[in-house]
Amino acid sequence: MKCLLIASESAEVLFHWTDLEFQQNIQKQYGASQEEGQRFPAFEDMISTQFAPIIISCSTIVDRQSDSYTSFTTENNHIYVLHQFDECLYIAVNGDGEEKEDDLRRKIYVMKKMIEVRFGMVTLSGALLKRELRPQDTEQRARLWKQLQKLLETYSRLRENDQSFLVEAVERLIHPTLCEQCIEFLERRLVQQLNSSVDRAGEEVLHAFILVHTKLLAFYSSRNASTLATSDLLALIIMAQNMCPSNVDLDDPSPESTSGSGPESFYTPEPSPTDRDSKKPVRESPPLFEFVDPDIQMAEDSLHTLEVSPPDPSAPRRVFLEVHLKDGLYPMMPHSMYCLPLWPGITLVLLTKIPTSAVAMSVYKFLEAFAKLEKRLNEGQSPAAAKSQLTTLDIRGKLDKFIKALGPSELQFGHLQSVWTDFKSRAFTKGGSGFTEDLIPSCKAMKTQLCGVYRHCFFTDSGSADTPRWLSPALQERAQTMVQDKLIDWKDFLLVKSKRNITMVSYPISLVHFICVDRSTGQMIAPSLSITERTTSELGKGPVAQYIKSKVWGLVSTTRRYLQKGYSTVTLRDGDFYFCYFLWFENETGYKLEAGDIPTLPDDSAPIGMLAWDYYRKLLRYYRKNHQGEAVKCYELLTIHLAVIPTDIILQHCRQLATKLWEPSRNPLL
Amino acid sequence: MQDKLMAELMPPDPRRCNYFFLYDGSKVRGEGDLTREGICYFYPEETLLEKQELLCSQFAGVGRCVSELSSSPVQTLRLRHNKFAIRMKDDFLWALGCSVDVPTVSVCELLDQLINLFCFYNGSVRQSYQLNSQETLAARWARYLSYLQSGSSEMCHIFSCLKTIDSTNVDPLLLLKAALILQACQRCPLVLAGCILFRGRVVSTQMSPELTMKVMVHESETYTKGQRLNGPSTSSSFGGAVSSTTVYLTMSELQYLKSAPVDRDSSSHSTPNKNVPPKKTRLSRTLSDTPSTESEPSYPNSSQTPQKTSFSPHLSGSDNSVCSPTASQSATDSLNLSLLSLRPPLSNGKHCHEAEEEALEESCYHSFHNNGDGSSQIHSEEDSSVFEENSHLNGDGDAAGEAVFDFRGTDSGNEQSHGGGGTDQGRKAEMKDPSHLSGAFDDLEQSPLVDVTLYMHRVKGLVLALLVEPHFLSDAASMEEVYHSSLASLNGLEAHLRTISPGAPGAPGPYVFAHFDCIQSTLTTNLSGRPGGAPEHPFVRATSLLHSHFCNTETLQEAIIRSAGAAVYGTRSVAQETYFQQHGGSLRNSGIPNHQDSAFSLPSKARHRLMKHGVNLL
Repeated sequence: MKCLLIASESAEVLFHWTDLEFQQNIQKQYGASQEEGQRFPAFEDMISTQFAPIIISCSTIVDRQSDSYTSFTTENNHIYVLHQFDECLYIAVNGDGEEKEDDLRRKIYVMKKMIEVRFGMVTLSGALLKRELRPQDTEQRARLWKQLQKLLETYSRLRENDQSFLVEAVERLIHPTLCEQCIEFLERRLVQQLNSSVDRAGEEVLHAFILVHTKLLAFYSSRNASTLATSDLLALIIMAQNMCPSNVDLDDPSPESTSGSGPESFYTPEPSPTDRDSKKPVRESPPLFEFVDPDIQMAEDSLHTLEVSPPDPSAPRRVFLEVHLKDGLYPMMPHSMYCLPLWPGITLVLLTKIPTSAVAMSVYKFLEAFAKLEKRLNEGQSPAAAKSQLTTLDIRGKLDKFIKALGPSELQFGHLQSVWTDFKSRAFTKGGSGFTEDLIPSCKAMKTQLCGVYRHCFFTDSGSADTPRWLSPALQERAQTMVQDKLIDWKDFLLVKSKRNITMVSYPISLVHFICVDRSTGQMIAPSLSITERTTSELGKGPVAQYIKSKVWGLVSTTRRYLQKGYSTVTLRDGDFYFCYFLWFENETGYKLEAGDIPTLPDDSAPIGMLAWDYYRKLLRYYRKNHQGEAVKCYELLTIHLAVIPTDIILQHCRQLATKLWEPSRNPLL
Repeated sequence: MQDKLMAELMPPDPRRCNYFFLYDGSKVRGEGDLTREGICYFYPEETLLEKQELLCSQFAGVGRCVSELSSSPVQTLRLRHNKFAIRMKDDFLWALGCSVDVPTVSVCELLDQLINLFCFYNGSVRQSYQLNSQETLAARWARYLSYLQSGSSEMCHIFSCLKTIDSTNVDPLLLLKAALILQACQRCPLVLAGCILFRGRVVSTQMSPELTMKVMVHESETYTKGQRLNGPSTSSSFGGAVSSTTVYLTMSELQYLKSAPVDRDSSSHSTPNKNVPPKKTRLSRTLSDTPSTESEPSYPNSSQTPQKTSFSPHLSGSDNSVCSPTASQSATDSLNLSLLSLRPPLSNGKHCHEAEEEALEESCYHSFHNNGDGSSQIHSEEDSSVFEENSHLNGDGDAAGEAVFDFRGTDSGNEQSHGGGGTDQGRKAEMKDPSHLSGAFDDLEQSPLVDVTLYMHRVKGLVLALLVEPHFLSDAASMEEVYHSSLASLNGLEAHLRTISPGAPGAPGPYVFAHFDCIQSTLTTNLSGRPGGAPEHPFVRATSLLHSHFCNTETLQEAIIRSAGAAVYGTRSVAQETYFQQHGGSLRNSGIPNHQDSAFSLPSKARHRLMKHGVNLL
């Protein structure tokens, strides 16, 4: 019995996902509280009614007690985890004991991450986000929710079955020669050709990678691209898995192993074609947005005119990813994502920079400036100090220019201009409020308008219909064919290899399993553990393999709990097994640095991992404070041994693994 | 010890419980009903009414909503700054809030203890509120809460343990004497079970730790003031020293007490040897400790315990000084009895007067020889399951190794070896399992409560507390007998306990440890009560985390966890949990696996170091 709900403070449902059991439960409960003979309303209304007391109590507690609920448990071990992000309250429920509190909290954070990848900076405006998540048009709403539900299910399935999503690090396919060849191919042939084509409509391929199931065969980034954050890469893999699911998972005969298989039985199937054998790329329709809300002073009228056109099958996905440039970090910058299936299980992903992305950077800078100003005003800083926020970077001058460049042609831009004029008259003229608390509403209004501009630029197809707006279908098809030709002889090998990436043959017999993660690059190595009817790992199949798998999953969550409380070494004797966990730091030459202090975090802090919230990036930054000027790397090792082996020997094994696994000679890729 | 005493005099630790309230939803049904009508008790009492109403109404609302969605009452409710244990029952809602650092298991345990305490002294909650004024009952909740909060250290809070006298400073003969006094009292068939307390600490008890704790509340109250808030009647013929009050037991508690009285969990003082794995049962431990040095000098723990070296000469000397001038006839008798030849053991549940002596003798015999072959003889006539479990306990098997398979079996075996009736099978295991906490509570609320009488005989700082059949008070002969048979012994015991110096606080030493006996619910530690026992102490933090982990993972046997500042080793078996941290030495390391790392030598260090505290980790 599972559920994930996003609600506004007024108990309006912004998104919901439930399994069949939970849905039936809600219907039963609702039915019990209704008089007979009444017809059931829409499910979202039922769930809203049933959760309303909790949602309303949440805001009461925040307002009057300056605290907030983080979780509830019941005597029959149901768990409710709650988290408020700005104006959205997330509630995750588990009633079947399959997930712990940490898992639910992680799910909430991952959901938020996926929403950020999808809606970008619009998530910075609560009011706008609420409208995006809950389109007025019920059909559109159903479509959007369905997409998000599928994404969440894909994530849950990966987290429950795939070790790389368990530890949240990318797993590479270990085949040095082929990998090298592929990277060279992507660089010299594919990306070069695409970027020099006239059919690319101003887009520029920044990253190209080939996925075999969830494992990375080759990854190429062009020279002028910023590195792709692990968090974003993991999110993109989830999206790719969602768009082009691996057939392996579909063959899996045990539906229990995938969470939330229920909804399929009551939601209409996705209309998009999923013909696996076709060479045609399979895509989902692009998000379509309608904006109708009288409460917000936005250019609604301009949006009314937008036509809800049928989705273009060649349209890419708009994704918002972090970009690292010399002058700083820009989160949620617009990119196009092309997910081109080569064969079932093997996918080519292209990420392009869109021509108008400079606008996003400007908007972000302005948003940041106004957010900081608002913060200073809230803190009651002196008007001069507050004002300096806008003057030191010459935000005023830059914004004037920016608005001028946008031009008044679009209604939305006109709105920004009028709000900005109003702001200036309040802030800078004598009769205005000056930089005092009274300016806060104007600050908020500016932020909302900027988010509105961002939304207008990147969510809607502003270009005219006759000019191409993305890589032409022909170009996409060419890319697909090129890579297919390159890999055709390897296809079957790769599919098998992805299931047997590392074998345990060369490791001591007493070692049952291990996972090693390089947190500085976000990559992991582990023997394969996939357990399905058709494929067996070295542990075999059936209950023993399933048992060990559950031990691995349990160990990861246990060690995270200790890490959260500042413990970087953990050994456990549990039944027939001996578990070890180590986290350590090295410099670039492999010299082991002294173990440092690891911050202690509260129970309800963001989950430890790299997907939704990059804990390790923060940890490395924290650690580097005492190691200035040195490149610091962070590693983790988890092992499971048979408990009958003397501890000394177990620890020696661990040490050997830790030193050998990342040796360049063993693994030239890493 | 000094620290512990100091700590007791200090005001309750504000950290332990931040909020506690009882809310009666049945009083707030209609639209116009005010939330304040439903608030039966709210702690801290000075909280603004508005805030009281806020918490009560919000929790009641959310509690009802969640309970409906999940078809089960809410158990915990966490906020960012506080975590609450919740109990919902017949329109009543209890909430107890602690800081988020306290393990959830401990918060739930504390709330159950509190509710159980209330029911012990007042009977059913609903009825109490019908019979008494809200103010009277509020004072009682406040008293119970303050009692439970007055633990000596954060460590005690984590384990919710029983306060016992520091037996390392006490002559074991005194403990023996205390046990004998209790046994003598049971000659009166109206006496169910008893315990002896000294200055708020347990010297010896025949009751379960939970029941002992409940009895101690009343003792602490009479000790601090001569007040009789609970309205006990005082029998004038015995002067002010004797008092009694009505208390309420659950059916299972009563059945347990009424089963074979002698075989019960009879003495629960914290001797260092209690750490010995269950092979050394707690049956009249005081007795078994005494001869073991002489008859079995090779016994691993006792022979290495420091006070044992001075024990043998001490025995004869103190024997005279302790027993001769003051010892009652009964005490001497039972000592003699123990030396007599073996007689056929009793069947369980038999407690007629004549049988008492035999029973007593059996227990003596049993404790003398419980490592020997005699045990099979003893148990040959008993229920075979009892025998099996006992022999298993007495075997040399590694308790830790068997934890996986025998968690319940061994545990109930323990209970059975004392209770014999088997009514409490597995109860212990349930108590430690958080998911069963509510179950224990349910039992209490659902099963009818039976009233019995709590009889207390005070000699200065010493108290003899007995649970007796209600008509004991009207049976002058019985009362007289119990009073007079124990009076002299109590005086003697008090005189000796009083002269014992609190003892130097355990030398800080190069290590800290905590050893928790899950069966007796007692804690041994060399961590001073305060301020070292504060929750920010790395050892306390680690212990609290590991204890939660042990509680939630039945198969976990041992763990080493290391942060930058501390490496802590924890190990547990069915009957005990032990935590150990070595001070000093360089913790400098890279964190990379290394078998020479000092953290990994903790298990052997702990085994070695704790030997002298009587903790056997072998």
